[in-house]
Amino acid sequence: MPDIQMSLTVNGRKSAKPAKTHQRLLDYLREELNLTGAKEGCGAGECGTCSVFVDGKLVKSCLMPVAKANGSEIETIEGLAGRGDLTPVQKAFHKTGASQCGYCIPGMVMAATSALRENPSADMEEIKERLGGNICRCTGYTKIFEAVEIARDVIAGKLQPTALEPEDLKDSYIGTNVRRLDAPSKVTGRLRYAGDMVMQDMLHMQVLRSPHAHARVVSIDTSDAEAIPGVACVITADDVPGTDGFGVFVHDQPVMARGVVRYVGEAVAAVAAEDVVTAKKALEAIKVTYEELPAVFDPEEAMQPSAPVLHDYAKDNIVKHIPIRKGDIEKGFAEADVIIEETYGTQQVEHAYLEPEAGIAYVDHEDVVTVLSPSQNISHHRHMLADILGLPINKVRFIMSPVGGGFGGKEDMIYQGMLALAAIKTGQPVRLIFTREESIISTAKRHPARITYKMGFKNDGRITAVSFKMISDGGAYGMSTEGVMRKAAILSCGPYDIENVQIDTYGVYTNNTPSGAFRTFGGMQAQFATESHLDIAAERLGLDPFEIRRINMMRDGAITHTKQELGSVSIGRVMDAAETASRWEAGAPTTRGETRGDLGGPDTRAPCTLGARVRNAARTGAQAIEEEVA
Amino acid sequence: MLNCDTYLMPESLGEALRMWSEAPDGSRLIAGATDILPWAREGRAGDVHIPTFVDVTRVAELQGYEIKDGRVRLGANVVYQDFLTDPELGRHLPCMPFCSIWFADDQIREQATLAGNVVNASPAADGTPPVLAMNGTVELARLEGWQTVRRELKLEDFLLGPGKTALQPNEIVTAVTCDSMLGYGGAFEKVGQRRSLVISVVCTAALVKLDRKGERFEDVRMTMGGIGPVPVRLEALEQSLTGQPATPDTIVRAAGSVGDIVNSRSRREYRGTVVKGFIERALENAVQDAQARATNLREVTHA
Repeated sequence: MPDIQMSLTVNGRKSAKPAKTHQRLLDYLREELNLTGAKEGCGAGECGTCSVFVDGKLVKSCLMPVAKANGSEIETIEGLAGRGDLTPVQKAFHKTGASQCGYCIPGMVMAATSALRENPSADMEEIKERLGGNICRCTGYTKIFEAVEIARDVIAGKLQPTALEPEDLKDSYIGTNVRRLDAPSKVTGRLRYAGDMVMQDMLHMQVLRSPHAHARVVSIDTSDAEAIPGVACVITADDVPGTDGFGVFVHDQPVMARGVVRYVGEAVAAVAAEDVVTAKKALEAIKVTYEELPAVFDPEEAMQPSAPVLHDYAKDNIVKHIPIRKGDIEKGFAEADVIIEETYGTQQVEHAYLEPEAGIAYVDHEDVVTVLSPSQNISHHRHMLADILGLPINKVRFIMSPVGGGFGGKEDMIYQGMLALAAIKTGQPVRLIFTREESIISTAKRHPARITYKMGFKNDGRITAVSFKMISDGGAYGMSTEGVMRKAAILSCGPYDIENVQIDTYGVYTNNTPSGAFRTFGGMQAQFATESHLDIAAERLGLDPFEIRRINMMRDGAITHTKQELGSVSIGRVMDAAETASRWEAGAPTTRGETRGDLGGPDTRAPCTLGARVRNAARTGAQAIEEEVA
Repeated sequence: MLNCDTYLMPESLGEALRMWSEAPDGSRLIAGATDILPWAREGRAGDVHIPTFVDVTRVAELQGYEIKDGRVRLGANVVYQDFLTDPELGRHLPCMPFCSIWFADDQIREQATLAGNVVNASPAADGTPPVLAMNGTVELARLEGWQTVRRELKLEDFLLGPGKTALQPNEIVTAVTCDSMLGYGGAFEKVGQRRSLVISVVCTAALVKLDRKGERFEDVRMTMGGIGPVPVRLEALEQSLTGQPATPDTIVRAAGSVGDIVNSRSRREYRGTVVKGFIERALENAVQDAQARATNLREVTHA
């Protein structure tokens, strides 16, 4: 199909570079003009990493077919300040530390710029509303909103330009705005993430993924795909020269499915072609014959002797069982006045970093296989890849590109192996960028857990014994499950000093999407159960929730149930601070009901509302009505 | 990925009609394109190849709006953001700024058109309940030979069901026309799985006109979306409120008298609960809006 003839102005410069018919404005800016400040976070208009101005209006460039922008004036993040000084908005973002991973920041700066262009005196509600189309996963927005307010007042002349300069450090970093060293590269869109990088002669990878949760791969026929013009190679598990297998603890996952697929979304084959359209066409031409196998989706069912077995080495489907014993729980429960038993469940959670997985691999002039990706664990990846490729370690190199959010989700080497194999096979650099859908379907999630909790209490609130059993869905591969089970067991009883303890955490294989590392690494699931349980106990025993915790908390010199001696324990001070800050109304949960007075105080954040500018307009719209009536 | 053979951008209606009538089967007519790009992705339609796109956003005859004889004719290219930025539209269509603020976000509203929302005919569309409440009509044009044939359908005759309309092959929506509701107070309520950038589970539009003292309902318009295949107008409720005092008591009583109007396939009970709450909230907000507008008017005329 013919290219689209284009004529438009981008950041003040005319461009007549033709566009491809499948390109969106975002693709055109990134691929044809190499303006990679606008990012792709979702491709569906949800996240705002791709915001650009078209004829002065801010739009999401992933929702605009490129032809629509023909003849328009485009302004991107690169054009805001050009090569000159940062704009006040960019300086304010720098000042307040509003950029963390930075992937959302170009879009966020564009949205802030648009908000202040549309209404230079926008109040906080309106600023929030106007930034509502842009998602940040790291910062919690507070620093971003603070930056926009400062920029607004500087632009309006209400604040001196010195307000954009770094804040003086007083007694503590806490409560002080601290500049980040890398912020200028983020607020200008100049920082290049893996998906922004291009190499000469680079090929584009696409991955064929399993539609089945559990199936035997009977055959893979790649001949038709390989015959398509522009296809450089198709790779499968057969292309792995060394010992196939990776994982953070147990190396149970092949680079691509080896004879069996164990979850929907598992990589089965990959294509490297001269462009993404050709690579996608080639995926459709790969013929895979599957023979479906019985699958198991519930970890407790997977622990039954009759359950389908996922991995030969673990006939019981258990990735890891961590048992901890301390004291004598039978004695402890016998001493209890009250025994409380509950079961808690937590769900699978996606990390949702704004930067989907991406990477480039190439073989350099010294035959060193090099992989550039936002890997959170490059040294381990390097060792594993050397084994997979059957190469000495000095012939494998990993470069960590800026991580556009990880939260644990980029610890697994799920695509770097495919890139390396394709680069070796073709002798060309190969790049893969995940779509948001691909990132969600194929990468690790937070472990869903089911926790059975039994606690014995004296009437005064003292815990006499704890029995804690956590069954976690590890999904199809081990990934970080072992470590997550260890951490969950270590943190299971919270910061409480308990004499008699029995803890069991189980990570179990199922045919669900694999679970892996995620902020707190198992701590969140355990704490949710522990703290919920203590609240229930406070209600049952008629105790203040702070009080029951103080009775049981560890103190300086305490020894944990994993025999770690704690020199200094801060929970007492943390609770004092929390109690004061929340203006806590003391008493058992049952005594307050709807009459509690500690809600909605001065430091409480009001819920998000919509319509700030409609209400403002209604207040000021009278003039025009008068004219109409007259 | 959304691909095509040809992407056309006509600049006049005549050109658009000709291109559309000559476009091969499977071609698509688009305006904002904010729906079609997310549709052509994995998990929905996947990779899609369209023979020809006819993009009407530069068609001169579809731009802007006209207020005449108590009606507001909105050209098919009027985008949602216009209802927030153009005070005149806000006065004549007082529920539309509230509808817009709930619709997607500022950036998508710059591209997304009301007409496109109507043509998509989603049961959860935010734009159709307000248009229904304002006695909206859909203006259509097509080529027959060299002749441009135009017709106008009431919204309720245009919307046939989820994704189904009376649009004929070769036909283009040229305008959506509504009553001017100058002097009314407006409201729009919406609930989805989260606050913004979300599809409605239930939405409602309300418009009320109060008497000179601001005490009684002179006219009430109320519609609901998301509770069946097409939006519903609550005519019995509208009539029962006319002439009644505009007080919370009356509103609560009226909301209580509305029977089961939910005709959805899923979440019927939840939707039923929302309907009752939304009738109360939307009417109270519309009354407040009407009173605020009247107060503004008084302050200005006395100044």
